[in-house]
Amino acid sequence: MFGQRRGGAVAGAAGRVVPLDPDRGLVRAAQADLARFDALYRKYLAQVYSLAYHELRDHHEAEDVTERTFLLALGALPRFHEEAPADAAPEASTFRVWLLRIARNVVANHRRGARRRPTAPLEAAGALAAPDDPQGRVLARDEASAAWAAVARLPGDRRRAVVLRFVEEMSTAEIAGVLGRSEGAVRVLLHRALRSVARDLAARDPAAREEAP
Amino acid sequence: MTPSALEAVEVEALVTDRYLEALLAAADRRADDAPADPALDPAVRGAVLRLRDELVRVHPSFRFEERLARRLGEAAVSMRLAAAAGADAAVIPFPTGVPGPDRAPGDPFAGRPVDAARLAARRPLLVGGAVTSAALSLAGAAFVAWRLSRGAPVDPFARAVRLARAARGGRDALPGGLS
Repeated sequence: MFGQRRGGAVAGAAGRVVPLDPDRGLVRAAQADLARFDALYRKYLAQVYSLAYHELRDHHEAEDVTERTFLLALGALPRFHEEAPADAAPEASTFRVWLLRIARNVVANHRRGARRRPTAPLEAAGALAAPDDPQGRVLARDEASAAWAAVARLPGDRRRAVVLRFVEEMSTAEIAGVLGRSEGAVRVLLHRALRSVARDLAARDPAAREEAP
Repeated sequence: MTPSALEAVEVEALVTDRYLEALLAAADRRADDAPADPALDPAVRGAVLRLRDELVRVHPSFRFEERLARRLGEAAVSMRLAAAAGADAAVIPFPTGVPGPDRAPGDPFAGRPVDAARLAARRPLLVGGAVTSAALSLAGAAFVAWRLSRGAPVDPFARAVRLARAARGGRDALPGGLS
């Protein structure tokens, strides 16, 4: 799902073009009056929720992670400022990168907690969806998608990089900011992830196998 | 992995990245695909196109969205109230009788035995909003001390009460000294 690219740009002090955080106005308004955090919440709800859902593959767990992410972001908002590491691109310091970094950490904590409290497998939850439950039907359809399954089989950061790239439409620099890696490392992560997905799809999909050179 | 192999992967990764960027730009132009470098693996290109079409953003339910919006609104209000009551609170470690490796020489608590219960009860002290109530308590204690040091009150009402009690004397006294 590729869509509109974000933001404008201004010339920095050294003549370098520095992308503007498109959320700067909303962030400053929310820092001045926390009640105005709602605008940022509405804007990024689906992105945080999608990231959590692609990581956890469970709507209830994704809701839990989404709730904790936004509560943590609200609490930390007065201390937020755009500041990327010296070796990172300016895009790595935007509000969106900061928020999704919080979400990534909350997902990691959630996974650690889930390992301590094992529950029923996800397949069992899918089988329990009522026949008149549209959300359950969508979930079943999504889970049947070979591409989703191939992404779900990728190891940790490769999977996250793919989700951030294709679902959240983030640039390499932004993904580097969320994952705390260099842009070069993210490029290699993505490339290896795409090769794995290509192999996986070819192995499971006869049509793709025939198309493959 | 040898340096040359690593470089080869990095070059391939760059080619893939350029194609991904071109695809993003193509989406802005509402184009379906973008030209790819001949060096790009066709299988990788196929996977990219498939992921672009099939990996979709998921939206939570409207009920969840509104419930969380309310919760965030309440949290924002409580944070605002906390800020109005003295926002710049700081956590300061409260001194206890527990000897520690960082205790300075000459400390009166040095050498005392470790009390497990006190150790468990040790908490940092929140200073900020609490300062106001502490100051009021100090003012109250000073006022009581001042009143006691002034001896008997000269208030006419208190004097009348005392005179009435004296006039009653032992007449209304109840057995056992109760009055």
